[in-house]
Amino acid sequence: MKNNKILIGILGIIILGIVLFALNLFVGSVRISFDDILKVLLKDSEDKTLNVIIFDYRLPQALTALLAGAALAVAGLLMQTLFRNPLADPSMLGISSGASLGVGVVILLTGAISGAAVSSFGWWSTIGVSLAAFIGAVLVLFVMLAFSARMKNMTTLIIIGLMIAYLAGSITDILKFFSLKEDIHAFVIWGMGSFSGVGNSKMAIFSISIIIGLVASFFLSKNLNILLLGEMYAENLGLNIRKNSVVIILISGYLTAIVTAYCGPIAFVGLAMPHIARFLFKSSDHRLLIPTTMLIGMDMALLCNLIARMPGFDGNLPINAVTAFIGAPVVISVIMKSRK
Amino acid sequence: MDILKTSSLSIGYDDKAVVSDINVTLNEGDIIALIGPNGAGKSTLFKTFSTHIKPLGGKIKLFGKDINLYSNNERAKMLGIVLTERPDDMFLKVYDVVAAGRYPYTGMFGKLSENDEKEIKASLELVGVNNLIDRVFNTLSDGEKQKVMIAKAIAQNTPIIMLDEPTAFLDYPSKIELFSLLKKLAKEQKKAILFSSHDLELLLRYTDNIWIIAKNLPFASGQSSELLKNGIIQKYFQLKDADNQYLLNELS
Repeated sequence: MKNNKILIGILGIIILGIVLFALNLFVGSVRISFDDILKVLLKDSEDKTLNVIIFDYRLPQALTALLAGAALAVAGLLMQTLFRNPLADPSMLGISSGASLGVGVVILLTGAISGAAVSSFGWWSTIGVSLAAFIGAVLVLFVMLAFSARMKNMTTLIIIGLMIAYLAGSITDILKFFSLKEDIHAFVIWGMGSFSGVGNSKMAIFSISIIIGLVASFFLSKNLNILLLGEMYAENLGLNIRKNSVVIILISGYLTAIVTAYCGPIAFVGLAMPHIARFLFKSSDHRLLIPTTMLIGMDMALLCNLIARMPGFDGNLPINAVTAFIGAPVVISVIMKSRK
Repeated sequence: MDILKTSSLSIGYDDKAVVSDINVTLNEGDIIALIGPNGAGKSTLFKTFSTHIKPLGGKIKLFGKDINLYSNNERAKMLGIVLTERPDDMFLKVYDVVAAGRYPYTGMFGKLSENDEKEIKASLELVGVNNLIDRVFNTLSDGEKQKVMIAKAIAQNTPIIMLDEPTAFLDYPSKIELFSLLKKLAKEQKKAILFSSHDLELLLRYTDNIWIIAKNLPFASGQSSELLKNGIIQKYFQLKDADNQYLLNELS
């Protein structure tokens, strides 16, 4: 692809992102006129309710979607290149299963120790769930890092990742079996994914953590490019295979762990967005793929959040119900178009 | 001068030696064929030289210094490999593959300098596939892929190039072409070239020096015509008398 075509493509994705971001502020279950929203944004409105809706709900939700979309998409790209497998995604490392397990443990323990459902603890329960998810995800991440530091063979690493995911999943199911009914409900809701959990109170820590991971991924582009030739060639070109896979898994897993902790296990974005970037730009150069995958991930998460929040869904449609429903046709159409 | 030198090298996996006591030297401009029956340890030797696996014993020296004392990146500038494996990414272009050969010379983000671009084009030209530069690697024929991988090794600009079975999957004219390309690299660019192959007849015809390995036999090396005449080839490949006579007649 010629350079100006690439630029036009990137520009298009950015403009689409801006439009989707704006729509995320304008559209929701409460109908607010365009003028009123502009007034609120320009800090010109006295209406408290409107200010709350825009600044406490819609804006942080749109920002969360933006960051989570970029993070999951690039985490998926890293996995696909490391394992040289187009079906790889962040869930392959067992990270989201680890997060689920963490949440499951907290829910069961609270029920067992206090006899009350976690959900009855109100505000503390959301913090507790995020923290538990993060700890679960990081524990699994460390297990995977320990394996990757010992292994050169990527296929065995994939199998170990999948097995750990299944293991964590089955322990979670066992825990759920012993949990209180109300908590299973809370668990299921968390599992459906949502961009509304971060809010203004946790936005600073969430955004800084994500941006650190995103910036770090840019430094991987050279090594990812060499990996495309296969491990033996990459090694011959001076790449330390084990060290490199530890770093890639660390960054990909870190991004997934943070998003999963705050938003629940969000499927599909990590798997599909890198393919859209590859097919759109017909490239395998990670210096191009990393930024474009992030941008496309942002657009997709904003679009999904918008649809989940459409009037009529009462803002409650789970993100996981939307990502694949919207994303799969997009991926298919992009692939079909570029195959012509 | 000798570029690579082994002393009492023994190779294999998990303490099980495949070949022991290898004492050889690669010199500037050498072109050497590594032959032997399947499973004799040819790939194992390549993997040992490229430090993918550790030797079980003995030493390998590059320019007089133990091969393990170099950093990964320093080694990447001394020894380039061409394997039977091929990259299979859907969008990887010929340019990208050859450009990868320049990565040991680039900075943190792998940005290619003007000189790198020049080397990439020159390598494709030398191999005769500069017309393929914008093609997707995956869509090439086997012969073209082989040439592009060799161009990658040339772009890597190493004094040694090792090729594992470079003639496999090639048709007859392409094989001949490949041999003359390797000869050109050795002669004009003073590279030391080591390659393995199963094309015994072609090898004996087109190369002068041979390293030969076989199970339960000591490592042997020498001029191809001599190895043929003194019966080493027959012994190591367990050729029937008639077949050996055929080779002798053909090549004398």
